[in-house]
Amino acid sequence: MNRGRILALLGIVVALLACLQRTSSAIPVFARKYGFNCTMCHSSYPRLNDFGVRFRNNGYLLPGHGAIEKTILESPTPLALRTGAGYVFDEFKNVPGAPFQRGFQVVGLDILSAGLLSQKIGYMMIFVPGITEAPGLAGQEASLEMANLVFREIGGSPVSLRAGRFEPAYVAFSVKRHLGDSPYEIYDFSFPGGPAFSETQTGLELRCGTRGPMRAVAGLVQGSGTNRSSDNPQDGYLRLEGVLGAGEGQTAGQRIGLVGYFGRARPDASVAAPNDDAQSFRRYGVDASLNASSVNLGVQYLWGRDNGALWGQGSEATWNGGFAELTVGTDFRAAFLARAEMVNEPSFIDRDLRRYTAGGRYSFEDNVAAHLEYSHQVVNTSAPDDPAEDYFTLRLDMAF
Amino acid sequence: MRWVVPVTLALALSATPFLLHGPQARANGAMFANGLLPALPVPADNPQTDAKIRLGAQLYFDTRLSADNTISCGTCHDPRTGFVNPNATDTGIKGQVGGRNSGTVINSAYMRYQFWDGRAGALEAQALGPIHNPIEMGETLENVVRKLNAIPGYKEQFQVVFGSDVTTDGIAKAIAAFERSIVSGPSPYDLRLMGDARAMSPAAVRGQHLFNGKAHCTPCHGGPLFSDQSFHNIGAGMDRPDPDLGRMNETKDPADRGRFKVPTLRNIAQTPPYLHTGAEKTLMDVVNFYDRGGIPNSNLDPLMLPLRLTAGEKADLVAFLEALSGPVPTVVIPQFPAGPGPAADPKGGLR
Repeated sequence: MNRGRILALLGIVVALLACLQRTSSAIPVFARKYGFNCTMCHSSYPRLNDFGVRFRNNGYLLPGHGAIEKTILESPTPLALRTGAGYVFDEFKNVPGAPFQRGFQVVGLDILSAGLLSQKIGYMMIFVPGITEAPGLAGQEASLEMANLVFREIGGSPVSLRAGRFEPAYVAFSVKRHLGDSPYEIYDFSFPGGPAFSETQTGLELRCGTRGPMRAVAGLVQGSGTNRSSDNPQDGYLRLEGVLGAGEGQTAGQRIGLVGYFGRARPDASVAAPNDDAQSFRRYGVDASLNASSVNLGVQYLWGRDNGALWGQGSEATWNGGFAELTVGTDFRAAFLARAEMVNEPSFIDRDLRRYTAGGRYSFEDNVAAHLEYSHQVVNTSAPDDPAEDYFTLRLDMAF
Repeated sequence: MRWVVPVTLALALSATPFLLHGPQARANGAMFANGLLPALPVPADNPQTDAKIRLGAQLYFDTRLSADNTISCGTCHDPRTGFVNPNATDTGIKGQVGGRNSGTVINSAYMRYQFWDGRAGALEAQALGPIHNPIEMGETLENVVRKLNAIPGYKEQFQVVFGSDVTTDGIAKAIAAFERSIVSGPSPYDLRLMGDARAMSPAAVRGQHLFNGKAHCTPCHGGPLFSDQSFHNIGAGMDRPDPDLGRMNETKDPADRGRFKVPTLRNIAQTPPYLHTGAEKTLMDVVNFYDRGGIPNSNLDPLMLPLRLTAGEKADLVAFLEALSGPVPTVVIPQFPAGPGPAADPKGGLR
């Protein structure tokens, strides 16, 4: 592909987006339905603010406004798109065969639909279409990333039920709605083939407590991808969180959370014989989201205890790790983040991972943002040359 | 030509907002879209006529409707101060002080509920309330009718307008007709919506963005009137030892504890002080109140959250609120018909 041509066309895109700066407004599903700007629910898209958290937990219905809410049949077509385009530099060192990317790319495409089916039932769907990777185009596998219903205030109680495929509440810091591009490493970590916290899950989740300082969430999900479709769901989790002060701990108030995940999984074919029985694994986590003025400090730490068979080992495997993330919002247009992460892998694996990320976003309008990010990952091993990754992107994100 | 797909996609997505943007897009089914004021709602049984509005204006400013001939409607809803009382709360007959800030008459014709607790619906139902409220005008309706029937000028006008002597129903309808004539004209916000891109200052434009976003105003102040015509608990006054329970006083429903009517924000810059307590003296004070997330209480609206607005954002928000003011009809204190009793205050009860 002619790089000059790409550059010229990207220039056209940038020029168009610059024109939008004074004229466009947020469009995606909820913004269009209510006539809101995206900053009603997002401190800096896609990160939710407290208002957005309450809206989500209330089953996509504005708390306190139930009597006038409209269902999807009474409001504009509940469909939205997300994508991004820009420059990506991704280089791996001391990782034989790792891909090296450097150039302009269109990154990802999500198709979203969400809204109310009735005053008591909300839904959210995110479809990721399959895209074949090509120069200038990031590939992605087709997936129904989310498809869930939320039954709110069951029987007039403060209990709601989420059913389907969703981002579980054990993820204290949403992977789908965080500011950074680079992953939360500890959420991606698991035994071979095992369920990472960053994955959406299929199952049921009960949430209790929408008012007051305490919330409790319990779920039953399908769990590990190494399980068979004939296996009953055996993975359950419980999350308790307390919020001090007004807010949800997202942009106001102080939130502290505890989570426990208890699952069973068949060992992956890469580490065990095909017919091995399911083995247990557990995750324990503690997290805090602290706010002062426009600064948020998010801290997560997780401990994993897996049956050794899941790692192809005789003894239990323990590992741990976490991250601390500082987010600063100057006003509704700009936000900056800095994050440090660590994953201490099981002792029989000669690896400890560290990642450092810094970046920022500037919104020309709610639905058009420039995203700048640098992330450095290093895997400490006993080898003389540690594997490392340098990631840089300058991109325009769009949601319509 | 593999670049065609991604670039076309990017261009198409970039152009989409052009198609969807604008007031029409916002007004096209969006639940909380603001917009231009609709046609004036007028009840079928009380059509607007010039004679009735003139009669209503006389009654509105006539202190003889109060027990001690000192208070008129205009005393607490003064046209010189945005049809409100510039004090935190009103003072009625015998120096009695009420518990709430007076609401503006401007655009009250559009409001589904009158009074902070919504105890009246139509203006006709509202108009008589203060007359027989013991701490406002303190007069009985029977006495008012008797006094006005003794004034030939009023008796004649009621015959012309209603074809009858003075009645409570006629008094209510005439005052309501006058109040219904107090409607604001196009504000800078309206002019911008009608196509004048420079009608609002850049700060006000930024403020509008905040109003619909980070400042979380629209969920309650949506619609052309900038009010959802409902009741919410924002915590105002709820930290007092014996708080005013607002809407709950009317409905007896504990869910309405501390809820008050969402007032219109049109011409809000002309109607300080603010909130039902009148405790917030300026628009910036109100913005700061909301920025703090209101006042915590057991029934605080779940959408009341600290906003984390910067000083610049607060100033922009105030600029937008100021841009919601349109011209209001000039009201002149009318001549009052002479009667056998004490004369009406020629100043119309204005202080």
